[in-house]
Amino acid sequence: MSKKNSIKFSIIRGAAALGIGLLVAFLLIFFGSEGATLGEKFSSSLEAMREMLISPLFRKNGSFSLKNLSDVLAGMIPILFTGLATCIMFAANQFNLGAEGGIMLGAFVSSLVAIYVKLPGPLLIVAAVLLGALASALVMLIPAVLKARLGVSEMVNSLMLNYVIMYLVNYLMKAHLADTSKGITQTFPFQDNALIPQMIDNGSRLSWGFVVGIVMVILCWFFMYRTRWGYGIRMTGINQPFVMYSGMSVTVIIILCQVMGGFLAGMGGGIEILGRYNVYNWSALPGYGWTGITVAILAGNNPIFVPLAAFFMSYLTKGCMLMSTNADVPSQLISIIQAVIFIFFAAQQFLSGYRQKLVIRSAKEELAGNGAGEEVRK
Amino acid sequence: MRLLTTDFFFSIIRIATPILFATLAAVIGEKGGISNIGLEGIMMMSALFGSLSAFWSKSWVIGLLVAMGVGLAEALLMGVFAFKLKTNIILVGTAVNMIGSGGTIFLVKIITNNTMGSALTSTTSLITKNLQIPSIQIPLIRDIPVIGKILSGHSLLTYLAFLLVWLTAVLLYKTPLGLNIRSIGENPNAAASVGVSVSKVRFITIGIGGILAGMGGAYMSMYYAMGWSLDMVAGRGFIALAAQSMGGGEPLGSMLAALVFGFAQALGIKVSATGVDSNLVAPIPYVVTIISLVIFALNQRRKERRRYKAAV
Repeated sequence: MSKKNSIKFSIIRGAAALGIGLLVAFLLIFFGSEGATLGEKFSSSLEAMREMLISPLFRKNGSFSLKNLSDVLAGMIPILFTGLATCIMFAANQFNLGAEGGIMLGAFVSSLVAIYVKLPGPLLIVAAVLLGALASALVMLIPAVLKARLGVSEMVNSLMLNYVIMYLVNYLMKAHLADTSKGITQTFPFQDNALIPQMIDNGSRLSWGFVVGIVMVILCWFFMYRTRWGYGIRMTGINQPFVMYSGMSVTVIIILCQVMGGFLAGMGGGIEILGRYNVYNWSALPGYGWTGITVAILAGNNPIFVPLAAFFMSYLTKGCMLMSTNADVPSQLISIIQAVIFIFFAAQQFLSGYRQKLVIRSAKEELAGNGAGEEVRK
Repeated sequence: MRLLTTDFFFSIIRIATPILFATLAAVIGEKGGISNIGLEGIMMMSALFGSLSAFWSKSWVIGLLVAMGVGLAEALLMGVFAFKLKTNIILVGTAVNMIGSGGTIFLVKIITNNTMGSALTSTTSLITKNLQIPSIQIPLIRDIPVIGKILSGHSLLTYLAFLLVWLTAVLLYKTPLGLNIRSIGENPNAAASVGVSVSKVRFITIGIGGILAGMGGAYMSMYYAMGWSLDMVAGRGFIALAAQSMGGGEPLGSMLAALVFGFAQALGIKVSATGVDSNLVAPIPYVVTIISLVIFALNQRRKERRRYKAAV
């Protein structure tokens, strides 16, 4: 299939998955909407959909809202990192689902550094984020080494670790670190020089962490597509024996990709917590890890598409939040839309009949083109 | 703290039951080459619909049947994506789990808003004592000292779960269907070459798993807790996968593994009753999972080495 046709197919396929997701959303809203007649239900569902799809960028009167846009961009920050982490791990066919625990651990460790370690100026931010990332990378060594050395499922182990991390962080918070003068469980405030500065000061919490995220996207893309080890990671996902016979160590690759995943997730945690809050107060897994998996699948495990996928997910999340406040539809609808779009993106055979047609058509065109060429030569 | 009381052993069985249902689903699935990580989400969904329909119909039987039906339907839908649309089964399972956590709370809000006029965020107020799956006193055994107190008085589903361990073994090793499931798990192409309909058997395999997980969900919301609440399954579907691999993929071994998890959790509850922070106790089953997987893998490796040495 020609490159033009294959891009065309990807776009149509993506649009179809999106369309199905939105259709399911509409049906669910319609089912749940209030109204005496079907017509009334229909118009109130349309109103809710409009709220979800348009209001993240535009106000009621149709004017563009910079505040909402910066909210959406700020929402991208944590899922940029978990998305990248998942991309790298999934590219090597390592189904490590630990980005969820990783981001929580990273946020927690960074917070501790931000509260208790004395360092001058922005050095504190760097140290906090790096230590959070390292902590998370170290924990990911557990599923990684167990998988590489003993063949234990990294999936089960990473899932278990998510729970272990959550409970241990909660224990440490409650028993030792919480500021007991406050009604809710939270730490003492971060030192002032640990807070990541904001890009726009409008309350969106769009910090410079966003730029760090974009830089990481480029670095990850470079690593995956322009370096030997990145190639090894991608090849391990496609054809593991080939990597082995070509002399690269599969063991090292399996460990490397998961440790990198842990590092990125932990980094995301630190950047999110220091950019958005001034205390640590997460008491449950934040859910960014799961959204990160969706982001990675939407991006086709290619880091360069992660910002696009993260923007889309963040936009949809914001839309669902606005819909729940303005149109009274529970915001958790996002989980269902996310799952539906996600699964149609991941389905290899989705629209395969259409792809077949495109392949045949482009083959015919090529043949016709060659035929014409030969006639001219004669 | 007195640990070895009859109550303690009773609670191990009570806690292990939902894990056992999911474990059996994982055992049958893995035998057929299907890693179903969506068991968690299926249990959430069937727990929700089981409790809702028990409330509407005023009958736990209907609730249980609906839970099983929802489990079956969801598993078959997973099958369509995994086998027909060639989606990686782990990603299908992940999608099911997404719906299982956030999606269920959306559904319960809009369903209760539509039917009862107020959006509930859990169904714990709906399941009353008489809608609970009944517990059964077993005659004769009930009267044996100590053992009677441990084995008698459990939920109907608990006895069914242990019966199903045996039935699963029979299904896998004594029936033509079981042979087909195992042969497809070992080598689908070989199975197809002798005329087995791979697709059909895979749908049956994942479907049975769905029904079993559905029962586990019903047990959670209609016996273990009085009603459904958010994230109530709390990783039991994942622990089941661990129990499956710890038990070597065999029904009996996996049942023992599920009981080990029951023990770990019961111990946790016991310890936290003495005033230890529950956050320190709650991760025990998850840590036990990791450690036991490692022990199992080391054992497996030693066995292989011995076999290799014997062969040389």
